[in-house]
Amino acid sequence: MKTPTARIAPLHLSRTLHSSFHANLRVPRASVVSKWLRSRNLTTAPALAQEAVPLRKHLKDEAKRKKAEAKINGVAKKLKTDPRLEKWELAVGIEIHAELNTECKLFSSGPTEGSDGVANSRVAFFDAALPGTQPQFQVATLLPALRAAIALGCEVQRKSGWDRKHYFHWDQPNGYQITQYYEPFAKNGTLTLSASDGVPTSDLNGADSIGIGIKQIQMEQDTAKTTHHPPSTYHIDLNRAGHPLIEVITLPHIHSPQTAAAVVRKIQAILRSVDACVTGMELGGLRADVNVSIRERGTEGTGSSYSGVSGLGQRTEIKNLSSFKAVEDAIVAERDRQIAVLEAEGVIEGETRGWTLGATETTRLRGKEGEVDYRYMPDADLPPLVVGSDLVDHLRVTMPELPDETVDRVERQYGVTLKDAKTMVDLDDGDRLEFLEETVELVLRRSGDQATDQLRVGKLVGNWILHELGGLLATTETSWATMTITPVEVADVLVNLQNKQITARVAKQLLSTLNDTSTSPRPSVDHLIDEGNLRLRPLSDEGYEVLAMQIMDESPDMVAAVREKGQKGKIMWFVGQMVRRGEEGTVEPENAREVLERLLSD
Amino acid sequence: MPSAKEELNGQATSPGALAGKSIALKDNIVTKDSPTTAASKVLSGYESPFDATVVKLLRQHGASISSKTNLDEFGMGSHSQSSNTGPVFSPFSRNGTPLSPGGSSGGSAVAVATGQCWAALGTDTGGSVRLPAAYTGVVGFKPSYGLLSRWGVIQYANSLDTVGVLAQSVKDARQVFRSLNVFDAQDPTSLPASVRQRLGPRRREPGRKRLRIGVPVEYNIDELSSTVRAAYVRTLDALQVAGHTLHPISLPSTRRALSAYYVLAPAEASSNLAKYDGIRYGYRTAGPDASPKRNSPLYAQTRGEGFGDEVKRRILLGAYTLSSEAIDNYFIQAQKVRRLVQQDFDRVFAQSNPLLDASLSTRSGDGGVDIIITPTAPTLPPTVDEVKRQSPVESYMNDVFTVPASLAGLPAVSLPAPLSEQERSSMEESDVTSVGMQFIGQFGDDETVLEAAELVEQLQP
Repeated sequence: MKTPTARIAPLHLSRTLHSSFHANLRVPRASVVSKWLRSRNLTTAPALAQEAVPLRKHLKDEAKRKKAEAKINGVAKKLKTDPRLEKWELAVGIEIHAELNTECKLFSSGPTEGSDGVANSRVAFFDAALPGTQPQFQVATLLPALRAAIALGCEVQRKSGWDRKHYFHWDQPNGYQITQYYEPFAKNGTLTLSASDGVPTSDLNGADSIGIGIKQIQMEQDTAKTTHHPPSTYHIDLNRAGHPLIEVITLPHIHSPQTAAAVVRKIQAILRSVDACVTGMELGGLRADVNVSIRERGTEGTGSSYSGVSGLGQRTEIKNLSSFKAVEDAIVAERDRQIAVLEAEGVIEGETRGWTLGATETTRLRGKEGEVDYRYMPDADLPPLVVGSDLVDHLRVTMPELPDETVDRVERQYGVTLKDAKTMVDLDDGDRLEFLEETVELVLRRSGDQATDQLRVGKLVGNWILHELGGLLATTETSWATMTITPVEVADVLVNLQNKQITARVAKQLLSTLNDTSTSPRPSVDHLIDEGNLRLRPLSDEGYEVLAMQIMDESPDMVAAVREKGQKGKIMWFVGQMVRRGEEGTVEPENAREVLERLLSD
Repeated sequence: MPSAKEELNGQATSPGALAGKSIALKDNIVTKDSPTTAASKVLSGYESPFDATVVKLLRQHGASISSKTNLDEFGMGSHSQSSNTGPVFSPFSRNGTPLSPGGSSGGSAVAVATGQCWAALGTDTGGSVRLPAAYTGVVGFKPSYGLLSRWGVIQYANSLDTVGVLAQSVKDARQVFRSLNVFDAQDPTSLPASVRQRLGPRRREPGRKRLRIGVPVEYNIDELSSTVRAAYVRTLDALQVAGHTLHPISLPSTRRALSAYYVLAPAEASSNLAKYDGIRYGYRTAGPDASPKRNSPLYAQTRGEGFGDEVKRRILLGAYTLSSEAIDNYFIQAQKVRRLVQQDFDRVFAQSNPLLDASLSTRSGDGGVDIIITPTAPTLPPTVDEVKRQSPVESYMNDVFTVPASLAGLPAVSLPAPLSEQERSSMEESDVTSVGMQFIGQFGDDETVLEAAELVEQLQP
């Protein structure tokens, strides 16, 4: 019982794992390992930094893609390009894992944040599975989980339990994950989606919205993070080990890849809106597994059923998808593979498959016989989780606004279109919306006793933030997150515009200038206006006429086009010329147009 | 950590209650200042960064930790012969061969029996404190599940594991027990104050001094040796003479309890021992430890080398009984048997089980018994050579009397009952001089169990 080398247990975990892969055989082995890891629903590399795709862009890209596809197939204007889809019907169920927004881990007082990401710095004894340690359920982690369950319309169970799911992996220090396998804490929810969420019309069947059943939500532990240092060293960071997750499991009520992506997107938006989870899917905070099956329309498939949904085909599972696009593309690939198999009179095997970004096909990871037997067992250390209805009721009445409610409010309150409202809510984690609200308030306050109303200002600000600022960011390839323009500055610009102190052209120019100028410190908007001599110095009617006549004289052809050929549209060319030729900040397009219309009709 | 003042029954022990007492610890209880290995190669050299709660409490009460004692690897065994650092021998012998000290807390029992310490802590999962106490002639007390903190106690089967006390007398065992009997927030199975309060006032009706003693008919098995049976009868007779009443009772699930135990304990062990992978601490194989190409599982090498045969046997057994094809027939069935065992006890005890809703009580109408007395083990200790010749299943048979109380979480104490002059004269001088008698009480009625044992202790010649 005596050993000379007393190693101190706190965790110097840089101890390397010498696995048996040698450098000279790296390539084939690495693939085996990655498959083997994925088969356990784990990643060893940091999540691929995938670009977040905002909804608007997603919808645009989608439309573009469909158009392009239609062209290729020579069946323009027909959305369904694959005639096989007339015959085969898709059914998809999704499992979404999301990190809960909590201060401590699920079963220890280890913090979930801090220490600037120093590896193995946020590790309690239990997180490292030290001998003799036990889990201590942290009640605070329950609150975001309950908010998620309520927001997803689930019935919170009075009593639920904790189970151990066993498998060996170096990111699982205890050799098992504590989850809620037998008795999850929330069941029977519904997610409602409409066309504006990205559900294709073919899925809506003429209805305004569809409901996707949520089978259950369970709480569970996250795993440690592993990084591979080739050829055979792995570093293990236990900071994430034991972080609370929820797993949301939908029923196979989803019938298109687009709707599947919309479901994941919407669940993410809802979880974020109720402050249940912090990071988005693209940051690794959310991961999805999808179950895919097809059946011939009008048949009962292979007669399979899942949680009360019957008449399904044999399903396969695709694990560990970490972006919306991956969800959609993987389902398309798997659907098409299953159709091809069945049309060739083959049989779909119940198996687990993998999909990597950019792939066109899913790949088999393991079949039923290769299933890991998780040996689920109730955790005898943990008493059942009992949630009182009073707590649930309290959370229900104090719930933050859900995304659909926010969209509705933004539409009503700021007079923007449904589409703009939705974009505003979806963009930049709701940051865009906050920017809007702050700017509108500033503009209203600055406008003083002028007869202004929230709807008009809301519409103006909404337009500038979404389209003008959005356009500026797009052309300068700036991200919203790094943009330095403040609501105060936008409000200053818009108040000047509203008060006819500057022209719209100048306003755009100011935003561009602000965007290019460093913030340490940046001159005020009014200073920029004065310095640039940008303030509107309205021309007299005479001045407008002189300028207009001058341009008309120089361009007799254009004058003829308007006067003789009746090409009224050309008037705008003259307006443009006047704005350009007039001194900066002197020509207002509306006035110019008025004068031109008068002169050209003479 | 709640202070000692929070103890129940107003029997708070002041700090210093154990002042100057040397107490040995079974080496599956972690300590900061010395390695803790659970007698396993897989934990060789392991030093815990924290003290177990019971260790902190011992220190708080002034005790000094004298040593860490040997055990069956991870507490899995009935004879303390399966330790990475070699077997434990009883101070007693037969024909020149040492006897089994019992297991798995054999080291703690021997340390007390030989006076190397004043008392010792062991752990009792299916009899691991009571059996060695019986085999070495000391008192071994396993409290109700959930009274003593398991924080820092290396798990074997965590729904059954309890910290127990080995001592020379019931009084000493009680003193250690009371020093440790407090709620510990770090152990999620530690009984909270609200439950402890319910345990306190549930005493026998005032004024009734006579104990109603249950004698389970199912414990009169063929395997019971004549020596043990004789000591059992003497103990019961002495109690009757002293005015207590004997009542035959039936615990019909006893037979199945042992089988259920050997399904449940390994199942939990297979889970609890999954953490020993050689990554964060403990033993690690010298070479690579996974070959996906050869489809050899991760850690197979480290675990294969780090665990002894008995531990491997139980891990495999447990992994099988939890597998999706076997769980219904084994693990689930065993849980049902466990519930039946508990119901058996609830039916015969005068007190209702404080963990159950009183209205659900299935107790029979005859008033029930205060305490059940049985032998601790069916035979005298075998020699270590005999142990070697035993099959694992024969070895498991040793636990037949101790396992039911573990399954039901009940308090139980093993008290040495001296052999008669006549019996001793027919045995070698080096052989044992007593056999163990087991006292089992209703859940939470630990004080009655100790009281009854002390009473018998005083009646003994």
